[in-house]
Amino acid sequence: MSGKNKTYNRKKVVVLFFFYMAAFLLLSVRLVDLMIFQSAYYTDRAQQLHERERSIKAARGRILDRNGVVLADNKTVCTISVIHSQLEDSEEVISFLCEKLELSEEFVRKRVEKVSSMERIRSNVPKELGDEIREADLPGVKVDEDYKRYYPYDALASKVLGFTGGDNQGIIGLEVIYDEYLSGEEGMILTLTDAAGIELEAASEHRKEPVPGNDLVVSLDYNIQSYATQLAKQVMATKEADRVSLIVMNPQNGEIMAMVDVPEFNLNEPYTLTPEYEALRAKEEARRQAAIEAKRAQSENAGEEPAKEETKSEEELRQEKLNGMWRNGCINDTYEPGSTFKVITAAAALETGCVTLSDTFSCPGFIVVDDRKIRCHKVGGHGAEDFTKGICNSCNPVFVTLGLRVGAERYYDCLKQFGLLERTGVDLPGEAGTIMHRKDAIGNVELATMSFGQSFQITPLQLATTVSSLVNGGRRITPHLAVRAVDEKGVSVESFEKEAGRQIVSAETSETMRGLLEKVVSEGGGSKAQIEGYRIGGKTATSQTLPRGSGRYIASFVGFSPADDPQVLALVVIHSPQGTYYGGQIAAPVIRQLFENVLPYLEK
Amino acid sequence: MATRFRTVQGGARQSNKEETYFDYSLLFTVLFLIAFGLMMIYSSSSYRANLDYNDSAHFLKNQLRSALLGIAAMIVVSRIPYHFWERLAFPAYIVSAVLIVLVKTPLGITSHGATRWLKILGFSLQPAEVAKLGMVIFLAFLVCRMGKRIRTWKGLFTLMIPPAIIGVMVWKITQNMSSAIIILGIAMLMIFVASPDYKRFIIMAAVGSAAVALIVFSIVKMASSPEMMEKLEFRGLRILAWLNPEAYADGKGFQTLQALYAIGSGGIFGKGLGESLQKLGFLPEAQNDMIFSIICEELGLFGGIAVIIMFLMLIWRLMIIANNAPDLYGALLVVGVMGHIAVQVILNIAVVTNTIPNTGISLPFISYGGSSVMFLLIEIGITLSVAKGIRLKDL
Repeated sequence: MSGKNKTYNRKKVVVLFFFYMAAFLLLSVRLVDLMIFQSAYYTDRAQQLHERERSIKAARGRILDRNGVVLADNKTVCTISVIHSQLEDSEEVISFLCEKLELSEEFVRKRVEKVSSMERIRSNVPKELGDEIREADLPGVKVDEDYKRYYPYDALASKVLGFTGGDNQGIIGLEVIYDEYLSGEEGMILTLTDAAGIELEAASEHRKEPVPGNDLVVSLDYNIQSYATQLAKQVMATKEADRVSLIVMNPQNGEIMAMVDVPEFNLNEPYTLTPEYEALRAKEEARRQAAIEAKRAQSENAGEEPAKEETKSEEELRQEKLNGMWRNGCINDTYEPGSTFKVITAAAALETGCVTLSDTFSCPGFIVVDDRKIRCHKVGGHGAEDFTKGICNSCNPVFVTLGLRVGAERYYDCLKQFGLLERTGVDLPGEAGTIMHRKDAIGNVELATMSFGQSFQITPLQLATTVSSLVNGGRRITPHLAVRAVDEKGVSVESFEKEAGRQIVSAETSETMRGLLEKVVSEGGGSKAQIEGYRIGGKTATSQTLPRGSGRYIASFVGFSPADDPQVLALVVIHSPQGTYYGGQIAAPVIRQLFENVLPYLEK
Repeated sequence: MATRFRTVQGGARQSNKEETYFDYSLLFTVLFLIAFGLMMIYSSSSYRANLDYNDSAHFLKNQLRSALLGIAAMIVVSRIPYHFWERLAFPAYIVSAVLIVLVKTPLGITSHGATRWLKILGFSLQPAEVAKLGMVIFLAFLVCRMGKRIRTWKGLFTLMIPPAIIGVMVWKITQNMSSAIIILGIAMLMIFVASPDYKRFIIMAAVGSAAVALIVFSIVKMASSPEMMEKLEFRGLRILAWLNPEAYADGKGFQTLQALYAIGSGGIFGKGLGESLQKLGFLPEAQNDMIFSIICEELGLFGGIAVIIMFLMLIWRLMIIANNAPDLYGALLVVGVMGHIAVQVILNIAVVTNTIPNTGISLPFISYGGSSVMFLLIEIGITLSVAKGIRLKDL
């Protein structure tokens, strides 16, 4: 076996070497491509794989009233957890936590003895208790601080402020509309984990600090809101009414100073149905059952099958009840305004030149429109009266006459011009729209009933806003609550002030309206709203609850002061009062009591 | 870097006695690679080893033991004149074949879903590694015996039959296609060097490349129709995962994609030794076939290229030794070893960078694996023995 290592063998070895070298070179090029040009892509992908995010809640901005009273705040609460791997004496931890947190031993033991990286024992623990547990310094027990929304005045302005959910998000009210200002930005802790998801202790943490939300300053006045709530509750109790809505606003710029819709609910426990609301539900349910009974009796007579009732699950029913409890009657529901709407008819007639103050009318106690006989509330009739007297008497035939004079076309255009057909644009969620006839469907009968505030529906806030606009010199205002957003240092971030909008009636008409409405209080149906030493304008209303014939009424009163230069306007709507139900009798005194306190308070 | 160390025997008494040559460059390169490999095995396996075996040095200890045994074997083999292996040519071939068959007996160990190991006297042994060494020893002998007949097609094919048999055995019996490819590769490279011809090899390479291209093309074609897709075996899926690893991220593309994340996230300078995140359970076989991606992640492009340069240097030393070997037999032994190392390095790096479809090939001297490092060191021992035969006056 000799075989010489020949030249061609050597050459081939060299060829092979260069072949290998070429392959190495190609692979190096591939490495350069991967590690330089595609590095960013793969680094990013790898990062996503390795990182775990833990969020840090941002403190939600507070809600302050016009004077700086905190209406919605944050409370520090604690979450108590156990880190299994750090436990030293689990028996001690179990007995300690049982005692402090008032939990059953079985419950705590199960969690403490569970082998997991971190087990939560209890959240929303008050800070003082959390501090106590932290000070005990038991190995393996972890106390984390967290924010919880807190409303210092429980039910005050509950339907306006709204509340937040578990993720710090607004659920209803201002908390929803101004969520982006209030919520702030969550912080983040980025930690690295291994493939099993275990956090690496040695790895450095990337931390992004949370940005606290902005405070929201609103036009509500804590004192006025409290007093208005008290009055609403009082009238609801004495008149055994279903609900009472009360709005206090500045008619010049649309700022809402108080918005009450009793029964309210506790913002700190928004998911607990209040006894007041349960009672209201029961009342409504009883009425509904009675109506069904009546219908059934009817249909049995007619030999019809009674309609099957839909059955709702417990959960659906509960949610429906909660939604009902959270409803803000001032903006979410509509009603027939009744006589307060005569303010609008009067303004429309004046603005279109269909009436002057010296016009005289005659009321025999009814008026015939086409084939219908529309009655005045005074059976015997008001007799001969001028326009001023007509409005003081709230005389239906006078306003039907005015409506017919204006005519359907122009009347509808006026409503449109007054802004009544659109939503007010208030900064609260779920505002209901106006329910109105179509323009071409307004016949004389419809026009007649509309003239004194029937056969259509608007929200209480729409009425308050429109009356405000008619008496403030004639400029349409946008009702609103938010004034400005303020950052943590108190610097204004954004202003929500609203300029008065377009002119909807002339200044003269507006002035005439103020004079007329002042007369209503000083000489007419609104006399119970009169206060010595103050000039007050207003209009009463008593309307039947739909469907008619239920024997239930809505009493309301809209008033403003000073009558020559209105600075405050208030509307109260009392649903289903028992006993006397006339607006002039029961609603006007509410506004009087309110103004007796609010007017001197606002002068200060 | 090509400093040659000479052991000058006899000192001042320079005589007719020939100076003997010892290739220290080769030795140090190999020792460096082994030491570097041990470091990287520890780095890439300690986290998992601590979780799985409660001993962060579990893999390091195993590998260290094999490396020390291998170095001892290398020293012994390097002292044996290489012509000794001529006598073992046929036994080596037969032992290789027998060991492969033994895998099917109760001696075989199943791991990672394939039966590729034998447990003999408490040692686990991979017959494919024995077969690689066996093929080098056997084929070098066979080529020398064949003499000029190698110049004919017939001679060429005759030479190819024994490697083909072993290759098919490794592939079919131990389900280890990558080792089969390496064994055939080693054989082809040795035959290429032994034959004065180029044309035939170019034809064979062209036919082979065309066949590979055809297979890849037909698999891609098959994948476009759903019913054919079901018939694709996992090797077919590997091809598809190679072409688009992100589409197969949960299956065949997973390991490749994890390796790419590791390499790509290393960047130019790497995350620093020990700082790999992909080794924390994300990248399967981090200390084994995929160790190069951890090297890249921790030591960056510079680390990766430095390893490639070390291997290039190793191969360059082997070329020098092969071309200065006293006879064709010695040269062919070294060419076989050179082919073995070069093919594995190229294929391993190509796999982790997703340049070729994923297949289990370890990185010589660095990857975890006792049989591999021991037999590689024995091959280096043979090479050192050939190098000793170099007469310095020939240089």
